[in-house]
Amino acid sequence: MPSPILSRRTLLAGTTLLAAPAILSRRSPAAEQCVVGTWGGDYARLLRENIDDPILKPAGIEVIQDVGDEVPRASKLYAQKKLPRGTEDIACLGALNGYRVTDADLVEPLDEAKVPNLKHVRPDLRMPAFVPHIYSAQVLVYNTEVVKDPPQSLGDLLDPKWNGKVGVLSQGGNQWLIMAASLLETGTTTDFDKAKAFLLKLNANGLRLYAETDAFAPAFKSGEINVAVIWLARSVMWQNAGVPVKGAFPKEGAVLYVSGMVLPKNAPDKDAAYKYMNALLEPSAQQGFAAHMGYLPTVDDAPLTGKVGEQLAFPEPAPKLVSPDYPVLSKAIPDLNDWWLKSIQHG
Amino acid sequence: MAEQREAGAALALLGPASLMMLLMLVVPLGFLARDSLNRYDPNELMIAAVTSANYLRFFEDPFYWNVLVTTIRVSVIVTVVCLALGLPMAWRLARSTSRWKSALVVLTVLPLFIGSTTRTAGWMILFARGGMLDILSRDLLHAGTVNLMYSEPAVIAGIIAINLPFTVLTLQSVFEGIDPRLEEAAASMGAAPSRAFWRIVFPLALPGVTIAAVLCFILCMNAFATPVLLGGPRFQMMAPLLFWAFNSDNNWPFAGAIAFILMGTTLGLTGLANLVIPRRYQAR
Repeated sequence: MPSPILSRRTLLAGTTLLAAPAILSRRSPAAEQCVVGTWGGDYARLLRENIDDPILKPAGIEVIQDVGDEVPRASKLYAQKKLPRGTEDIACLGALNGYRVTDADLVEPLDEAKVPNLKHVRPDLRMPAFVPHIYSAQVLVYNTEVVKDPPQSLGDLLDPKWNGKVGVLSQGGNQWLIMAASLLETGTTTDFDKAKAFLLKLNANGLRLYAETDAFAPAFKSGEINVAVIWLARSVMWQNAGVPVKGAFPKEGAVLYVSGMVLPKNAPDKDAAYKYMNALLEPSAQQGFAAHMGYLPTVDDAPLTGKVGEQLAFPEPAPKLVSPDYPVLSKAIPDLNDWWLKSIQHG
Repeated sequence: MAEQREAGAALALLGPASLMMLLMLVVPLGFLARDSLNRYDPNELMIAAVTSANYLRFFEDPFYWNVLVTTIRVSVIVTVVCLALGLPMAWRLARSTSRWKSALVVLTVLPLFIGSTTRTAGWMILFARGGMLDILSRDLLHAGTVNLMYSEPAVIAGIIAINLPFTVLTLQSVFEGIDPRLEEAAASMGAAPSRAFWRIVFPLALPGVTIAAVLCFILCMNAFATPVLLGGPRFQMMAPLLFWAFNSDNNWPFAGAIAFILMGTTLGLTGLANLVIPRRYQAR
């Protein structure tokens, strides 16, 4: 019998050699380890500075960040659904995806006994399996040097004087602007037909679209736009960078954007994850995020003082803040994104 | 025995690359093909099914057709311009006997040392409102504002800048392979240089020119960063559309279908290029 080209022994030796780096690099696990799937950049840095290093490290928990975008992170939760052991203990998501993964039964319901700080969370931000970490309101941000008579409502932006001077975000869609338009037209966030009709008029008034929030500051500086419909938090970051902007709450109400975290059902270390969730609601961590990113604390025991207190203080009378209707929004989004692409981006 | 040894050597040489291709390209493509037949649900993401709905959605909607047509139009324009600019450059480089020749080749390659996104950022500075062209037009020429950002010409210029070095390098190696004595022979028989080029060199170079054109065309059909950064949200090409389907709402089945439609169109048009070129000039 001719000798085979690849003997069993050679094959075994080869595979062992290939697997060697993986086998040798496996270190013994630390006492407790918490893998946090998060956005990169400032958010990841502030997590390290306000949560990982000052709170978790002294408690003997080593935090490992798994940096990436939100959409792939959410799909990872779905893809790992059937695994007995997932790869993340905490996944950072926006509230909409937080609702979706809860609905798909992928995440643990919250337990106040394990996350005692939950009792401080603002009642209107609470969700069954999603810890709200930070939030902001969608406002009318305007250039204070040019705009002497700031818009009071989204409807004001139809005025021809704003033609070509209004910028909005367009990241595959903009559900928040659609909800704001619905709020203006009907007082609820879910009348998408009326919202679409309004946005077509706004688009016809020379609406400028930007794919990234970072593109707004140069657009304000160069005079390309004078108004943007965007999160109040961003205006605070731009103020801190020397851009002369201010946020005005639309009188019909401002839609809230909430970002937070979930605990996957198959998280490798749930105890560490609960400790992490509790830590992110600590007043010091909440104040740290407000000071550097301009997002509002989601808890009632983290008052803001000094410059950030002034920047984020609500005007009098208190503005109307509106939370999205996530179940309705979630179902409508594929259609809304498709409509946005065809009618606004190419309208 | 000798045959066996030869087969073993062939396996050892081809094996690793083939295995790599199989694992990193063919298997994921297989998964993607399967995903493209699934059904999408906003809360469940992907529901196992065998449906042509995602492909039909693309072909039944004129909007998506238009995106495909725009992509092909931009790719054809870029390819034609790259060939028009690249042919004389490559020809000159190949026939140069100057001691600066290697420096010129390095200069051609130099843009490839910078990532395409970084280079596109440079174009953004040039094209944007308040950018260099705008300042030049407003302050020096008093000719009004120039804002080329977020336009098709900006995207075409950006992609040409990225693809041109690939075209020139491919064409240069083709011209290097053609014996200069053929042109000398043509000249000795009274052919003017242009006649010698078009009648002798160009037909010989045609297979290589086709390869350069195909390379340029494929790169452009799949361009992502340049259309996104210089085209902005109101300009759509296929690769950004694919990313939109995937990233705006995790719609993997539709994104998978777009990927295969893009791949199929690119392969089909590339094949068509081979049919257009007379058989005797085709690359073998």
